[in-house]
Amino acid sequence: MTTPMLRSWLRAFAIAAALVAGTGAASAHPHVWVTSHSEVIYAADGTVTGVRHSWAFDEMFSTYALQGIETKQKGVYSRDDLKALAQTNVESLKEYAFFTFANADGRKQRFQEPVDYYLEYKDSVLVLHFTLPFKAPFKAKKLALEVFDPSYFVDFTLANDEPVKLVGAPASCQLAIERPKSGTPSAQQPISEDSFLSDAFANYGAMFANKITVGCS
Amino acid sequence: MTSDLSTPGHRHGLRLVLMLMAALALVMLADALWAQALAQNPFGVGKGAASAAEAEAGGVVAWLLAKQAEFYRAMSATIRAAKSDGSAVVTLLGIAFFYGIFHAAGPGHGKAVISSYLVANEETARRGIALSFASAFMQALVAILIVGISAWLLNVTAKTMCGTERAVEIASYGLIAVLGARLMWVKGKGLFRTLARPAALASPALAYAAASAGDRGHSHGHDHGHGHHRHDHHHVHDDGCGCGHSHGPEPAALAGPQGWRHGLVAVATVGIRPCSGAILVLVFALAQGLFWAGIAATFAMALGTAITVTGFALLAVSAKGLARRLASGHGGRAATLLRGIEFGAATLVMLFGVALLSGYMAAERTACF
Repeated sequence: MTTPMLRSWLRAFAIAAALVAGTGAASAHPHVWVTSHSEVIYAADGTVTGVRHSWAFDEMFSTYALQGIETKQKGVYSRDDLKALAQTNVESLKEYAFFTFANADGRKQRFQEPVDYYLEYKDSVLVLHFTLPFKAPFKAKKLALEVFDPSYFVDFTLANDEPVKLVGAPASCQLAIERPKSGTPSAQQPISEDSFLSDAFANYGAMFANKITVGCS
Repeated sequence: MTSDLSTPGHRHGLRLVLMLMAALALVMLADALWAQALAQNPFGVGKGAASAAEAEAGGVVAWLLAKQAEFYRAMSATIRAAKSDGSAVVTLLGIAFFYGIFHAAGPGHGKAVISSYLVANEETARRGIALSFASAFMQALVAILIVGISAWLLNVTAKTMCGTERAVEIASYGLIAVLGARLMWVKGKGLFRTLARPAALASPALAYAAASAGDRGHSHGHDHGHGHHRHDHHHVHDDGCGCGHSHGPEPAALAGPQGWRHGLVAVATVGIRPCSGAILVLVFALAQGLFWAGIAATFAMALGTAITVTGFALLAVSAKGLARRLASGHGGRAATLLRGIEFGAATLVMLFGVALLSGYMAAERTACF
């Protein structure tokens, strides 16, 4: 076989390989959309104790999740009716590290099991409320918090109205929010990248992360 | 370029097509990888570079994502509207169709498995199209069956339904791995045979016979079944160079219908796993009391999905066809490379199955929370 022939032949091989690899490795796509509100909770001494989320699911997923749930009144779901579902929600979320990644002054912070969790049905969508206490409350000059799904099955969007609140924070603390540009992945480094899932495909969703930073002097 | 097919220009033209295809595949791949590289880069990129890079990273991937999110949201609104206005169903079908097209461009939906299967086998474009449509419509049917039985008939909870989806998913991934392993066995033998006696394949004429036999797909198997001596003679060599279905381990595997049955296995492994999007749409439609509209939307979605998957399948078949044509007339080494590609594609099918089973690769996550 002549050299140019071999080369073009190898090129054909490259195409075949790129085809199969490309089709498998391309982007993931979301099936669930969440609009999030979050609160960063501080103790009286200025330590950060936890994060409280309220996540509103999209209409289609909400309907799916409500499938087969018995209620006293059709179409009206009380907190009690949704108790079992809320339990399932937080148990399943554990597998995904609650899609919440915290880093204080460069150190990754871990969460305990969620507390005070419940679901409410409002404006034909489900809203999941839950609090994630930190394993060890801490003081931080710079707290970075990210809410995202590394595999991008769930799309998280910060709500338009006051998406993040500081509760009981010292007066010197300043809040900053960075949203992913609409439909455009952010080129910034995800803070949790080193400590969380490090393989290329699993971390695809980091581009759609919502970054919350609290700086305290 | 097409006018001078028999001259040296022919080879030039082939190259050009080849390069175009390579460029296309690379653009597709680069876009995804580029986006991932940005997410992976532990130090990010320089401030100045970031804005330019961001614009590119957005590219095709972000556009596809934005489009499908748009259609997905429009679907729930349209199903709601259809409750009071029947004509909204027409709009719904249109939206579902386009959602299928854009949605299937993401991972899953059997593109990788079907493309690899087509590369591993000596398949025609027609069969590529048939396999793509069959698997897309089987996915739709499975989604309708799951929701129809579990939600409509039995009214089970999402948790139970999700358990069913997971079981089906695992079955599908297992079957993909098994299909890959079987292909590896068959293709591995072909590869081994070419490696063992490359001298027997040095004749360009035989390589050409092999190539044209492959082009004719299952009809050639039919000829073989009738046992024409001349053809049999060719097929012995064909077998030796490992082309097509004809080097299956048992003679029965050579027959045309058997080849289709193998194709059906590929369809089943991919088609058994429904698309989460279809399940969500069906459950939503059911809750609105418009299950039939959900079913219609699911089929419209399948049509869109089939078109996208067909695109990938045709690319795979053309790439393989080009490789085969380039290999013909270049003797044993080229044939060995061709067998190598087939074996590689078979290995990929198996690896997809294992990666999906082990959760290392997530085609789609079943909505289980």
